[in-house]
Amino acid sequence: MLDPHPTSFLSQRRLENGKDAMVPIKPESPLNLPTQKLSLGCPVLDRLVRGGLPVGSVTELAGESGTGKSQICLQLLLAALRPPSLGGLSAASLYIHSEFPFPLRRLRRLLTPFAPSSVVPTPLDHIFVRPAHSPDDLLSLLTAVDALLARPPSALPVRLLVVDSIAALFRSEFDNTPADLKRRSSLFFKIAAKLKEQARRFEAVVVVTNQVVDVVGGSESYGSSGNAIRVGNYGSLWSSGRRVCPALGLSWANCINTRIFLSRSDDIVRNERALVDEESDDRVHGTVVRTRRKMEMVFAPHLPEASCEFVIVSEGVFGVEAQSEKSETPSPTSQI
Amino acid sequence: MLSEEQMQKRITTGCDDLDTILGGGIHCKEVTEVGGVPGIGKTQLGIQLAVNVQIPVEYGGLGGKAVYIDTEGSFMVERAYQVAEGCIMDTLDKFGHHRKVILDCQEQMQPNSFLANIFYFRICSYTEQIAVINYLQKFLAEQKDVKIIIIDSVTFHFRQDFDDLALRTRVLCGMSLKLMELTKTYNLAVVLLNQVTTKFTEGSFQLTLALGDSWSHACTNRVILYWNGNERHAYIDKSPSLRSASAPFSVTSKGIRNATSQCKRVRMM
Repeated sequence: MLDPHPTSFLSQRRLENGKDAMVPIKPESPLNLPTQKLSLGCPVLDRLVRGGLPVGSVTELAGESGTGKSQICLQLLLAALRPPSLGGLSAASLYIHSEFPFPLRRLRRLLTPFAPSSVVPTPLDHIFVRPAHSPDDLLSLLTAVDALLARPPSALPVRLLVVDSIAALFRSEFDNTPADLKRRSSLFFKIAAKLKEQARRFEAVVVVTNQVVDVVGGSESYGSSGNAIRVGNYGSLWSSGRRVCPALGLSWANCINTRIFLSRSDDIVRNERALVDEESDDRVHGTVVRTRRKMEMVFAPHLPEASCEFVIVSEGVFGVEAQSEKSETPSPTSQI
Repeated sequence: MLSEEQMQKRITTGCDDLDTILGGGIHCKEVTEVGGVPGIGKTQLGIQLAVNVQIPVEYGGLGGKAVYIDTEGSFMVERAYQVAEGCIMDTLDKFGHHRKVILDCQEQMQPNSFLANIFYFRICSYTEQIAVINYLQKFLAEQKDVKIIIIDSVTFHFRQDFDDLALRTRVLCGMSLKLMELTKTYNLAVVLLNQVTTKFTEGSFQLTLALGDSWSHACTNRVILYWNGNERHAYIDKSPSLRSASAPFSVTSKGIRNATSQCKRVRMM
């Protein structure tokens, strides 16, 4: 049997005493595995994910434009700075973005009234931003990131890695031919393996955002040529009244540990109440349009099927407790 | 005549119907491949088996330990704890009236004891995967209680681009032969969780197990997990001794259990 490299027979890379080292292979006890989680910045949303996003794992946020993916990512960058007692990691973050420009203004808006992050005097010093224009860009970046993770530029270790978005990197370079799809798929696995390795070695949380595509043709069964192969807890996912599914297909779905789906829908409701922002008023027909946002657990190794409504306001993204029809939803100062 | 095969114990999956189509449960001395789409329950089944192998002999189990090789980072301790707790609760419920047995197994029947009996390896590359399998030969000679090895998932690190595809095939074949040897030498079960992919054959895309062509002829049994409407099902795709049949199952907070639907359960195909 082939042993490709003599030392690999005996050792693995592991984080020991905070340092990256080659150590002899030995089993671990599950009781000693890291179990830290990064809070989403809201107790209602945290309940949905049982405390927060886990370290050593890759979590995907999938949704169409405007559903709050980047907003949640920004919120996570700041949450990471908080100490573990407040659901954070006391850590710096790396934000790799493939959509331009980086939303610095939105990030600054999240900072101002932000008491808990004042544990760190200059939060922006601990957030590292890098652009990526292609999958090869991302791979080179991730290789360079090894050095960043091992010797962080700021006083805090880097323990949150965000890729926003993975889909944008693969938009233009690949045709729909079997050969190109295979090439694309190989890149998914290479990228995912690297992200997971870093998540594990540095006890980091990895978040990747993804877009959605319309579901086309085919039935939900073997041999379907459509993209409607059921993946996860829901037979179908909906957003803005359209049936959608996360982009990059079954291959990419095999690369992540947890998939969270964000959606929005515009409900038309009869309104006798006072007007709330984000609702357009159609006085002629006595109806308003209300945007509802939902977060759904599509699959996760540790979480059951569950969903939660949420709102996006200038202060951030917050979950909404399930309420009966009659009671009022909280009226924030200004919805985005 | 009681053959050696009949005396072999099976590891229960936690679901009666699934056990039935498996001929009583997962067999020791055999390699079983379990494939399915993300979210169907492969890791859930892996964790369930790592727990169920530990059910004490007094309660009808193997009283063994487990090796869990995690190649994707899907193993979550909190989930394993839940599954161990569920297994212990249900086992004690079933045997409730046998007081003496309960007292004897008191210490073992704790979720943390169950977690401590899982030898966990997290690997981050295909070379680490081969290294761990090589290491197991020595490890298993010392740890005689191990009755199951689970690899979750077996092909993830092989799905990147390999410059030399022939090398990949050789490595995978070598790995599966080595695993076969381990089952026979140490009389344990090997369960390989695998991903599915779409393959373009005969003019359309078909769902198929990843890298199936290269290596999985070395597996004794192959089980596919799939969605049938809103219900999870499993079917025997390949086996020298088991009939092709399908069975429903569910994933609950306690782990893998019987499906809740009332319709006819095990179906022959």
